[in-house]
Amino acid sequence: MRVLWNELKKILTWKMLILLIFINSVLYFLLIEFDIKHFPNGSHSYSYEMGIEMIEKYGTTMDDDEFIDFKRTYAHQVEDATQYLQSREEFVEEGLDTYEKFLAYDWWNASEEIYALRSNVFFEEKVELFWELQERERLLKFYEMKDVVPDVLSKKKKQRLEELIAQEKFGIYPEVVMMNFKTFIANVGIAILFSVVLVISPAILKDRSRQLVAIQYTTKKGRNLFKTKILAGIIATFIVITALLAVYFSLYSLNNTSMYFDVRVNTFIANESWFDPTFFQFILLCIAGIYIIGLVLGLLSMAFSTLVPNMVSLIGIQIPFVVGFLIIGLYPLLPEMISIWHPKWLSMISYCAMIIIVIIFTAILWKREKKLDIL
Amino acid sequence: MRIFINECKKALTSPILITLLIVFSAFNIFIIVSSSDHKEELKIVNEIIDKYGREITDDSLKQFEKDIQSDLLGLTEITGKQFESIYDFLDGLRFEEQEQYSDRDWEFFNSLQLKEMYFGMANSIDASYAEIDVQDGARGDLKGYGISGKAAETYLRENEEFAERFNEMVDNEEHKEWFFAGKPYFMHSFLFKTVFLHITIESLLLIVLMTALITTYEFENRTQLLTYSTHRGRKLMKDKLAASLAVSTVISLFLFTITLGTYFFLFDYSHVWKTSISSAFNWENPFPYVTWWDLSVGEFLVAVVVLVFIIQLLFSGLTFALAVIVKNSYTTFFLVAALFILAWLLPTFMPKSSNLFIVTSYTLSTLTMAVSQSFMGSSGLILFKNFEWMTISCWTIITIVFCTITYKRFRKMDIQ
Amino acid sequence: MIVVKDVSKQYGDFTALQNVDLEFGNGLYGLLAPNGAGKTTLIKMLATLISPTKGEIFYNGKNINDMDDQYRERLGYLPQQFGYYKNYSPKQYLLYLAALKGIGKKEALNKIDELLEKVALSDVVNKKMKKFSGGMIQRVGIAQALLNDPEILILDEPTAGLDPKERARFRHLLTDLARDRLVIISTHIVSDIESIANEIIMIRNKQLLYKDSVADICATLNGCVFETTIDYGQLEDFRKNNILLSEKQEYGQMTVRFIHKGNSEDEWTSVPPQLEDVFLYEYRDELEGEN
Repeated sequence: MRVLWNELKKILTWKMLILLIFINSVLYFLLIEFDIKHFPNGSHSYSYEMGIEMIEKYGTTMDDDEFIDFKRTYAHQVEDATQYLQSREEFVEEGLDTYEKFLAYDWWNASEEIYALRSNVFFEEKVELFWELQERERLLKFYEMKDVVPDVLSKKKKQRLEELIAQEKFGIYPEVVMMNFKTFIANVGIAILFSVVLVISPAILKDRSRQLVAIQYTTKKGRNLFKTKILAGIIATFIVITALLAVYFSLYSLNNTSMYFDVRVNTFIANESWFDPTFFQFILLCIAGIYIIGLVLGLLSMAFSTLVPNMVSLIGIQIPFVVGFLIIGLYPLLPEMISIWHPKWLSMISYCAMIIIVIIFTAILWKREKKLDIL
Repeated sequence: MRIFINECKKALTSPILITLLIVFSAFNIFIIVSSSDHKEELKIVNEIIDKYGREITDDSLKQFEKDIQSDLLGLTEITGKQFESIYDFLDGLRFEEQEQYSDRDWEFFNSLQLKEMYFGMANSIDASYAEIDVQDGARGDLKGYGISGKAAETYLRENEEFAERFNEMVDNEEHKEWFFAGKPYFMHSFLFKTVFLHITIESLLLIVLMTALITTYEFENRTQLLTYSTHRGRKLMKDKLAASLAVSTVISLFLFTITLGTYFFLFDYSHVWKTSISSAFNWENPFPYVTWWDLSVGEFLVAVVVLVFIIQLLFSGLTFALAVIVKNSYTTFFLVAALFILAWLLPTFMPKSSNLFIVTSYTLSTLTMAVSQSFMGSSGLILFKNFEWMTISCWTIITIVFCTITYKRFRKMDIQ
Repeated sequence: MIVVKDVSKQYGDFTALQNVDLEFGNGLYGLLAPNGAGKTTLIKMLATLISPTKGEIFYNGKNINDMDDQYRERLGYLPQQFGYYKNYSPKQYLLYLAALKGIGKKEALNKIDELLEKVALSDVVNKKMKKFSGGMIQRVGIAQALLNDPEILILDEPTAGLDPKERARFRHLLTDLARDRLVIISTHIVSDIESIANEIIMIRNKQLLYKDSVADICATLNGCVFETTIDYGQLEDFRKNNILLSEKQEYGQMTVRFIHKGNSEDEWTSVPPQLEDVFLYEYRDELEGEN
């Protein structure tokens, strides 16, 4: 236990923690700040509010009756909008005295003056009603399309969509929260991956380049120390991930998305998935994913740390792996891990494969270390 | 000299450098090859230039139109119907009918379609440029970015000057030269953004690593007591700096040669080297690319390569100075990476009403990331005419001062 | 008791040690050989850091690699070069190693105080090691080797960096320790072990040359070591006919010590052979090759 504690202290030094905080602050401003500070952003705030209203009024699913009610609200608002338009002479003059006419107008070919009127409503006066109506119309369109299965999909994907339709799980709740969370979690994933690699990489190489191994391996603990070092690395990885997740998720809590927690992922617009956890469960799933990816990369870092001759090689050899993972693996394995746009078991198999490969790799290294001549 | 060569060898013979150079080159080649589907289509521009000259004149356009007309007659021969434009024919074509025509026919259709596209674009140049109002755009930018106060004044003043340059450019007809159509192919961003950013970032990674390796080599191999007490002594650090710069040169030369070699092997630029980079065809975004000076594609390429090369040498120098202080290659690498991003983000931490907002964008990071828009007045917030040379000069001074201070400090430092 | 049985070590094509047979009981053994003769290879095999390509090493009849931690628990080892953490104090460093050696913290604290006293580092117990001199680091290394009160103590070039006073103290310490345990010291400095070693082991050409007491080893040159005074000009000739061990300049003449087998000359004085003479004699080829 004391040995483990000592190894842990050697990984999590003050110097390293300061560097970790510095790098995470930079990565925060580069990657994460936007999704916290600017949420909900612009017109998305109407989607966000609308979603909350829907959840409060109808719960996490909507049946046909509830939809009729939704339409009724829409109709009321259309009346309000008509009243508003009639109260403004400019619109009446142009013949836009009802919302229906306003909506049906051919804005693409509108003259500049009339287009200016529209801009006035949306951007200068920022009449909320009109924004809300737009959002409602968008949601209504999705509701009307709820039974449509696109023709271009593969057989399995079609099957899944039909299954969802049969279970009446329609994608009709505004997706802003989901989109925001997905970019957030992907960027948090990137920050955490870099952090893990940063902290864990030197672990084993450092003692070797300090020529400590001869003394360490002739003590009673002997070469088993290698295992302890690996374990210390795993624990350190775990600590780093947990600490960073705690920080980043407390920042995420500023986004106020808890009202959406019970909504199932398949009921968000354009978010068809192979499985159907609630939004909250999905968050937990992503957190689990980050832990797995982090531990895998931590172990990989330690493996490289055992093999390479110096710090520069240690960084260099990891660049293709880390960058390659970010390009290929991050999205399918984290925010899109259950999306039907990837094969159903892709993420599961990838996770398992990664874990198995790293464990085998580490086991091989341990075998090697047990027999290795310490020169 | 022998010392210098030995220092270079420390980096150049390290297996990781060689491995990464190969991996990066392969990756770059892959990127270029996988986006080269349209390379045959681009050749039409060479044909056009061969036939009508590089510059677009009313006469040459008329000739071009005539040729298209005669091609349309050819179309009538093939299809037996008359069309005003190839598009009329293609729009009316039903799926089943496609197989009626031979491959050669299709080649003809495609080439005619391209010709019509280029002709159409060339014809609309004057109208499109007449619509552009630089100052109006600038005011829109200010609103969009939420810039006010002193920063806004500075921005507008510079745009005033740019408006003059823009009008001069239009009067000179620099933009009336043939180039690959921007909106369908995005060749400028592909070359100067995608490909160049790959080269730049990759070589920066390697340069920072290798500079850190060379600089901290003695401390990390515990030979510091030996080497710094020799005849050469602490002046060895000068050799290390020279070696770092030399290795940086080798690295960037290698990546540039391989990557740009592949690029120009696949994409035939032979006819467009002399075309102005401000060509109306080089128009990908809402605003066309317009440089402050009358630069041809070839000149622009050389200028940007030189610019990137200087940036890389400066980064090598800065890394050197940092590594002398930190004496640890690992920390150095991550610090440089973080500082690079931090410098890039610097303007976002500044008040948007202050000139600081503009001044803080004069960093090597911003210059690196926006290299595709170098020397241009159409590059938004960094449109400033002095942006490139000012940034380079300032940072050269900063680098020299930083290196000198750390070197002087190192000469007096206790080595243990 | 350690038994080294027919041990060879090869690195690829290179043979570092060939068919070495040795036995160690309690007492102090000096492992004497020039650099590169395979000393460190043998030591590292005894310390389980490298394993023999052929043959086995036994402790009390059991293979030391099979004994695993039971062997290492009894082992104290000071490598020729060893690392330490610059920002640790000797106390922190020893506590760290005590943990690895499976010594309880309380016990370790007492032991550390005692050992640092023994190696005269009591006044810098809590100072960071980065400011230490080479001799101080070496003494921390010695303390480290003694931490677990080892039955087998293996020291690779332990006197490097020690001043004469420290050397003397260290020799004392060793004689003390060797009374009831097995101590192996590898060195190429003859005077370090000449007076204290029970037995000397010499390795030449990757093979065991001698394993005997100092007296017995010296006896092999009985009657062959002489001293005489010659003119400086005669030196070259003299060197050709005899094996020169040492030369000393005195009053414009040279006093030389040399080995001559066969008939002696009158002006030569026969002197009792020293261990150093044997060393110089046996390794004359290697040593000349080095020069």
